[in-house]
This record gives sequence, structure tokens and C-alpha cells, in this order.
Amino acid sequence: MLAVEALALRYAGIRALRGVSLSVAEGETVALIGPNGAGKSSLLNAISGIVRPAAGRIRFDGRDITALPPWEIARMGLIQVPEGRQVFAEMTVLENLLTGRTALAGRAEIFSLDDVFAMFPILRERAGQLAGSLSGGQQQMLAIARGLMGAPRLLLLDEPSLGLAPLIVAQVFRALAGLKARGLTILLVEQNARQALAASDRALVLEQGRIVHHGPSAELARDPDVIAHYLGQGDTGAMTQQGGG
Amino acid sequence: MGQWIIAYTPLVDLFLLHLGFAYAQYIVLRAGVFSLATAGLAGIGAYTAGVLAVKLGAHPALGVAAATLAGSGAALVLSLPLARLRGVYQAIATVAFVQIVYSVNLWAEPVTGGAMGLNNIPRTAGTGVLAVAALGTLYLVWAMERTRLGRAFNAIRQDEAMAATLGVDIVRHQALAFALSGAIAGLFGALEAYHAYALDPGQFAFPFLIAILSYVILGGRNSVAGPLIGTAILIILPELARPLAENRMLIYGVMLILVINFLPRGIADSLILAWRARRLARPEPAAGEP
Repeated sequence: MLAVEALALRYAGIRALRGVSLSVAEGETVALIGPNGAGKSSLLNAISGIVRPAAGRIRFDGRDITALPPWEIARMGLIQVPEGRQVFAEMTVLENLLTGRTALAGRAEIFSLDDVFAMFPILRERAGQLAGSLSGGQQQMLAIARGLMGAPRLLLLDEPSLGLAPLIVAQVFRALAGLKARGLTILLVEQNARQALAASDRALVLEQGRIVHHGPSAELARDPDVIAHYLGQGDTGAMTQQGGG
Repeated sequence: MGQWIIAYTPLVDLFLLHLGFAYAQYIVLRAGVFSLATAGLAGIGAYTAGVLAVKLGAHPALGVAAATLAGSGAALVLSLPLARLRGVYQAIATVAFVQIVYSVNLWAEPVTGGAMGLNNIPRTAGTGVLAVAALGTLYLVWAMERTRLGRAFNAIRQDEAMAATLGVDIVRHQALAFALSGAIAGLFGALEAYHAYALDPGQFAFPFLIAILSYVILGGRNSVAGPLIGTAILIILPELARPLAENRMLIYGVMLILVINFLPRGIADSLILAWRARRLARPEPAAGEP
């Protein structure tokens, strides 16, 4: 469904990605893990067209989307849920969700308003409230729900657990498991390697702009190298610190 | 009562005209375009209508239609190079555009009358026409807020990259906001021409740009009521204290500095936010703050 070939990306002379290739097949959940600054978010931003790669090619359903503007990519059903609980703070929860519908552009909806409200009941309660007044966890749920409103065929999730309390993280990952069970294709970027490996079929490890490990998630979770670098202490704080090594 | 109405008619007319210009400015700002071109677009509309009436004796309705089209056409053309610029660069480029319109009006003397101005324009737009145009514009902007288009404009203003990844076509929406703004500016430029008997190029230059911007900044850039409140205050205030009227631009300048520093969201938006915050806090007893 998605094929990224030899993607290279520079930010102000810094090489953020150095020849990354990956593919995501229909129905799969693929996790992309790696330390802070490895280029994970850069890769997602290049796929959704926010930044232009210096070299390489991105195909979605066989169509070359490397040079397309972000809104056309979104309208094909390749939808990114941005990092850091980004919601439209000055709009209500409902207006945020309705804005997510823009990506439909004539395609049939996959998730209705009732579907996302059933998934995240708190959003129904807060529908008329300004999104900026929600808690961090609620904003993350809103960002995911808003992405779902655009009928994603492939959902790009950027660090859905970033800065959230463990209880909320568990709730978010339960929702992701539900989406996977409904057959949604997901590319998940996470620093929280343990959760990401548990939630995915396959995983890739990105370090300094290169993919250094890849394979079925269950296998990677047993790989001594991956354990040493990403699963060692078992909590996310320790992982971030070991990232450079 | 009759005396009172006659005494205040010029002020009401001024308010209605400037309300239109304020909403033309508001529409682009709301779509996240930092354009200050409204003054220039109004100038294009005013001179289109004025020249048609004076030189060709055209019917006022034709003049108004041509001015509206000229305003939106010029705005559409201007939106092409502006799509490659952002923020303060858009502001600089559009200030340059206002200056270009001013220079052309000054230079094309055989057509526009140059520095001598364009005189003897038949007065065909009275208070009633201005009121209809202002109310129509207000209704259009108010109705737009509740549509997909209004939501898309809001989304772009708040976070352009985020809106784009949700499928909002940034280039097309900003061009559309520009065209709408240009149409409104052109329309009210034409009404100004058919109301004031005469036009001169300096009317649509830098001081006018600052005045229009002040209405929106003072009133508020987000809520529909913002420009209405800002225009009402800045038009009426100098008239209440006559000596102040002489120094209108000075008052606008001081007001802008104060508002930007102490009330950056403007009056209407600040009030709405305060009201929303109070409503959120209501479950807890309102009295007895710690």
C-alpha cells in the first residue's frame, strides 16, 4: 500500500534521513521506533507532504506522491495524526472533528461521528467545548478521532503516547488495538518501544536517519540488541537517555 | 429627532462605509493571510467606479458591479505571488501593492485626474444603499462562519500545516479569501466614490491602511463581531470629542499600541474567551475565590 524508497531528507544542512526504505501492506500495523532525533517524525512529515525529501520516492497505492501537496495526499486517505496533541485550540471539539472530514473529498466515510464518540465517549461529553480547554490525554484522543473522520486508508500516528500519563497511554493503545481489529492500516511512530512492539505486526528501528533493524515485532522484542537499547530498563525515561548509544 | 438624524448622517455613512472595509480586511486575516492590501483594492474599486461614471457616464449599478469584479480580480492576481510568502513578508508585499495603486492613480492623470483628484462624481449612494451593503456583508460573513468554508479558514489561521494534513487545500482557500476580500473592498470603494462626489489617490494610501487594520485589531480578528465593535469605537470616539477628530491618526496609533500590548486578542475575542472560561468554571461555586 505504502512504499518508501531510498528517502533522503535535509533540515538546514543536517541529514535527517539517509536513504530510508520501508513498506506497509494493507491491514498491517507497522511500528517505527528509535531514539529522539532519529528522524522518525521527519519521515512521517515527508510521507504526508509537509516537508520535501532531497531524494527518494514515496508511493501510495502505486501512485507516486513524492511531489504532491499535503492536502492531496490526505484526500487519498493517507492521514497523519500529528505529534504533541495538536488540535485547533480555538475551535470546539465538534468543529475539530468536522474539519477532519475535509479529507473525505467525496470518498465514503469509514468512521462516523457516532463511531468516534463511541470510541472516545469523553469527546461526546465535551463536544461543544473549546479544544484548547481539554486535558492532554483528551486532546490526543481528539487528534486521533479527527484523523479518523477523514476516512483514513493508512493512518500515520506520530508519538501518540508523548507526554501522557501511563493510564492514558494504556487507553490510547487500547483504542489503537480496536482500530487494528477493524482492519485499519497503521504506521505508528513511537519512542515507547515496549508498547509499540506489543501493538504492531512488524517494526523498524530508526537511528540517525537510517533503518538499523527490522522484522516482525515479536522477533524484535526478543532481539538482544533491541532489548539492550530500547527495552532495557522497561520505562520510557531510561530509553530516551540511552537513545544516542 | 429629525435634526439629530440630519446632524449625525455623515457619521453614520462614514461608519457604514468603513464597516465594509473592516470586513474586507477581516476575511483575509481570518484565513491566515497577513495581507494589508485592502486599502489598495478599495482604491481600485473606487477609481473603477468613479472613472466609469465620470468619463463614460455609466449607470451606477454597472459601476458598482465593475468595481466589485475589479477588486476581486486584482486580489486573485495578487494572491498568486503571495502564496509563496508567509507572515511579515506578505505584509510587506501588500503594503508595496497599496503604494503601487496609489502611484498609478497619481500617474494616470488623463484617466484618474492625478493629484487633482477625480471630481464631479454624481452622488448616487445614500445612507440607505450603504446600510444595505453593510448589512449584506455582515450577513455574508456571519453565515460563512457556520459553513465548511468558515471552518477551513479558521483551521488554516490556527495551524496551516495541520490543516493541510487534514485535506484543506491551502492555496485554493487563501486565493478564495483574497477574492472575497477584494470583492468587498472593491464594492465599498465604489460606494465611497458614489457617495463622496470626489476621489483623490491619497485617500487609499498608507493612513487608510492603518485605519482599516486598527478596526480589526481593536475589535478582534476571530469573532464576527470584532470588526463591528472596532469600527464603531474608532469612528464614533473622535466625533464625541471634537478636538480629537483632528488627530484621528494619532488616536489610532496610540490605540493600536495599547491594544497590541494589553489586549492582543481585541475587545470581542477577549470578551468571548472570558465568557467561555466562566462557563467552564461554573460547576464550582462562583463565589468565594481563594
